[in-house]
Amino acid sequence: MTVATAHAAPPKPSTWTRVRGWVGNPWGRPRFLVGFTWLYMAWSIIPALIAIQFSFNSGRSRTIWSGFSTRWYWGDVDSVWSDADLHHALIQSIKLAVLDVAIATPLGVLLALGLARWRGRGAGVSNFIMLFPLVTPEIVMGVSLLLVFTHVFTFIQPSTTAQVLGHVTFSISYVVVVVRGRLFSIGRQYEEAAADLGASPAVALYRVLLPLLMPAIVASIAIVFALSIDDFVISYWLSCGAGCDTVPIQIYAATRAAPLPSTNAIATILSALTLASIIIGYLGYRFFTRHERAGGGLVGDMAAFDV
Amino acid sequence: MYPRWLWSGFALPGVIWLILLFIIPFYAVIGVAFGTVDPILFRPIPSWNPLDWNVGWMSQTLTRLEPGGDLWDVFVRTTEYVVISVGASLAIGYPVAYYIARHARRTKALLLVLLILPLWISYLMRMLAWVNLLEVDGYVNRFLMWSHVINQPYGWLDGKPVTVVFALIYGYIPYFILPLFAALDRIDQSHLEAARDLGASPLQAFLRVTLPLSKTGILGGCVLIALPMFGDYYTPNIVSGAPTTSMLGNQIDLYFHGTSQPTIGAALTILLSLFLVVLMGYYIWTVHRATKELAST
Amino acid sequence: MTWHPKERGNTRRDFLMRSGGAALGLSSAGSLLAACGNSTTPTASSNAQGEPVGPGGLPLARPDNPVKLPLWEDPIKSGLKPETGGTFTVYNYPVYLYKKLLNEFCAKYDVTPQYTPFDNIATGIQKLADGTVQPDVMEMTPDHLDQVVAGKLIKPLNLDYIPNLQKNIWPELVDPFYDKGSQYTVPYTLYATGILWRTDHVKEDIAGMKQPWDIFWQAQAYSGKVSMLTEDRETIAAALLRRGVTDINTEDPKLINRAVDDLKQLYGICNIKLDDSQFQTVAEDHSWLHQAWAGDLIAAFVYYLPANQHPSVMAYWKAPNGHVPVQNDCFSICATTKKPVLSHLFLNYLLENGVSMSNFIDFNGYQPPLNIIEPDTLIEKLVQSRNASWGTKLTAADAQTLQTAILHKEDFGPKSIQELTLTNSGQALWTNGYSEFTTGA
Repeated sequence: MTVATAHAAPPKPSTWTRVRGWVGNPWGRPRFLVGFTWLYMAWSIIPALIAIQFSFNSGRSRTIWSGFSTRWYWGDVDSVWSDADLHHALIQSIKLAVLDVAIATPLGVLLALGLARWRGRGAGVSNFIMLFPLVTPEIVMGVSLLLVFTHVFTFIQPSTTAQVLGHVTFSISYVVVVVRGRLFSIGRQYEEAAADLGASPAVALYRVLLPLLMPAIVASIAIVFALSIDDFVISYWLSCGAGCDTVPIQIYAATRAAPLPSTNAIATILSALTLASIIIGYLGYRFFTRHERAGGGLVGDMAAFDV
Repeated sequence: MYPRWLWSGFALPGVIWLILLFIIPFYAVIGVAFGTVDPILFRPIPSWNPLDWNVGWMSQTLTRLEPGGDLWDVFVRTTEYVVISVGASLAIGYPVAYYIARHARRTKALLLVLLILPLWISYLMRMLAWVNLLEVDGYVNRFLMWSHVINQPYGWLDGKPVTVVFALIYGYIPYFILPLFAALDRIDQSHLEAARDLGASPLQAFLRVTLPLSKTGILGGCVLIALPMFGDYYTPNIVSGAPTTSMLGNQIDLYFHGTSQPTIGAALTILLSLFLVVLMGYYIWTVHRATKELAST
Repeated sequence: MTWHPKERGNTRRDFLMRSGGAALGLSSAGSLLAACGNSTTPTASSNAQGEPVGPGGLPLARPDNPVKLPLWEDPIKSGLKPETGGTFTVYNYPVYLYKKLLNEFCAKYDVTPQYTPFDNIATGIQKLADGTVQPDVMEMTPDHLDQVVAGKLIKPLNLDYIPNLQKNIWPELVDPFYDKGSQYTVPYTLYATGILWRTDHVKEDIAGMKQPWDIFWQAQAYSGKVSMLTEDRETIAAALLRRGVTDINTEDPKLINRAVDDLKQLYGICNIKLDDSQFQTVAEDHSWLHQAWAGDLIAAFVYYLPANQHPSVMAYWKAPNGHVPVQNDCFSICATTKKPVLSHLFLNYLLENGVSMSNFIDFNGYQPPLNIIEPDTLIEKLVQSRNASWGTKLTAADAQTLQTAILHKEDFGPKSIQELTLTNSGQALWTNGYSEFTTGA
């Protein structure tokens, strides 16, 4: 450590000092960082906004704006509405997401409870295995599921069923992580209190623990829905062909050729669905935690959504 | 208060699911890679018993993956792309995460929403967005020509490595910033105050306190985006399509789609996983440790 | 050089002398494994007489070596009534059959139409073999016939039900070399492999060049806008033809290696890309020079070329007979069908002049081998089709460029060259050569 003057003397206004100040001073006004951060935000969001804009283009181009129109949503022969492949893909995407939520959420919640409290043999290993789907590259998971459905569980074959099973497999761990976080933060005292007051284990689970877990369950539902809607790789590897195409698969195929604004339109619809699920999930989360507000606010809540 | 079997019973369905659809599938890849191919229909005939393994495919694949082999170059290129992309993500992501965690006050919630937003916009939509922007007559070229940086449109989509790396950074950086933000946000302000009171300059405080304390966040974020990047094949396909920018995932994709040697695809999948298992292990170990700490408090 | 484990020996040894570390680990692992059992050729690629054979030990059909495929069961009896009720499933490439025509056929026999697409013929056959799909009829390519006949996946035909074959189809394809006696297939569409380009960007007169395939090797000026098809057979065949090798079914590793080396030069020359969307990307000016099938020009003209662009911005070249790969797709009846009679009737329906023409002009752009087709009236019809959907006012004279994409029966004589079935080891050579090309190394 050097002499203790950094505090007292105002820094000389040389560029180097200023830059150093921006990087290092947690109490000053870091103008460089402010600018950089907002620039990053613009860079990360604006392209998507432009893509959305062009889904409303009245021309066929995705680069030259020629006025507002909804022809790529409905009306045009190539619109999402009229193009059977596109709206079939949309239905397929939603179908997979709904089934994924319906299966992965209960499985994941039970697994989270089990893993958090089970102290027997196998608990450690299970805890360990559970984390692998989170970090396994999707192509590895896609290949292995494809091979297992074509060579081991041959009654399944690449199909919508296979896609659902695949989606559930990569979703479970996310549910576990979210729900387990909540379990740790609520502790066991409420259930113990309920037991002291004479509640049976079933009642303690159902009337005490389940409501307390609701925020995490709602968050999980939103996250699983969004993950499934967004998934490309697993759906692609387990696809039975055009009948199993999801929206991301359609976007992928179109983008490799020369897409029309209808591709932007279906991508916009997809993103709107994801965002809606997240917003509903978030509102649900706020609702179920409305009595627990003690500072933190939005920022604290966000933690539940970054997995 | 609860029966002893309850928790293991709760865990059972999930554990069985993961065994059936996560562990056994991986063995299926091994079985195929060390199996044979049906001579008429070119379907792999997996070999489940290690004693019957046919190592021919693996040996072919390994030979091609050795330095000098054609797949070695793909491996090197893939690694280059990943390392550059992760490095750039760090350079771009750290200041952003740092600012939001340390400085943003009134705007913090808004910035966080904006930070998370891209995660919920489909990855492929974000790629599509850039394909639109990078077209010959797209906004990027028009802007660059308007500002006289270039005189004629640049062919961003003509199979350029720079575009692939850019797309990888753009695609994965949100997944990097979030864990980093979480790590930076957790740092107790009082550590910094203490450092400053002990006479550290702002820079020293940053280098000796903030940076070391955010090390787990940095490494976690790097691993978290490096892993999927290593398995990526769709990003180069979308923004380039040229063999000169292909990655290892493209070869796996090729061998599994209608060739007579899906076994080579399986062998490549195994080798890729083995290569990545160190990274995966590191990440899981840190998460596992953190969970244990959490559980014990 | 194209990879082959045995030939890599030197490289490996060289490397071991120069370095160590991780690479050493890999190398020794490779050598260690190489010392163990090594069988990567699925089966013997020649029969007892030493002649090369395809999958299942069936002979390799060539225009100068016609093959009568073995019958694994008897065809159905003549004079049976078609089945009705239930579904009728066509298994085919995506958007490769006009659904309106399928619906009309099914309405006649009171069955529900179903169209199940596959990504490519190889994965399609695999799914059929796996039992994932149970179609009635499917699209088939001659180079996969050995596979599906040996694998008992398609049924022998009774031509009594298919009089249109004799009546309407080019004689060259009524009794084709790949299926003497048309025991398993009827022809569906034709295509040839050539070059599609934008005349507004590419300055060279490609069709006038001594060796037009050379254009890819001198396309520096069009770097990034040049593509080839994503097919092992097509890419390597183009490189072989450029070198004057017309045996595009060669299994000579030297020739294939040289072709792959040639293809790899294209990285530096024009940063070659690989995709199959030429009918759209060339029409919409994203690609300037593209290896392409003849039907791509027609599809580009009818469906994709923007209204304000004159047809002459696109041009197509294919080599003369004997130097151009010409192929035809077929239709077959799947062994899984529960409606064999109706399936026969469907094959006959596909060969009706009106049906076949409508499928071609109104929908897929790939030409059927019909006797009634005359190039002049054909162009007239294509122009009408474009004018109707784009509001353009073109005349046949504007669209003379389409002439180059029309195929003639002479193109399919014994002199013609085709990408046909290879022995299993030969197929592996081609696949791995293509894989090496796609590495970009």
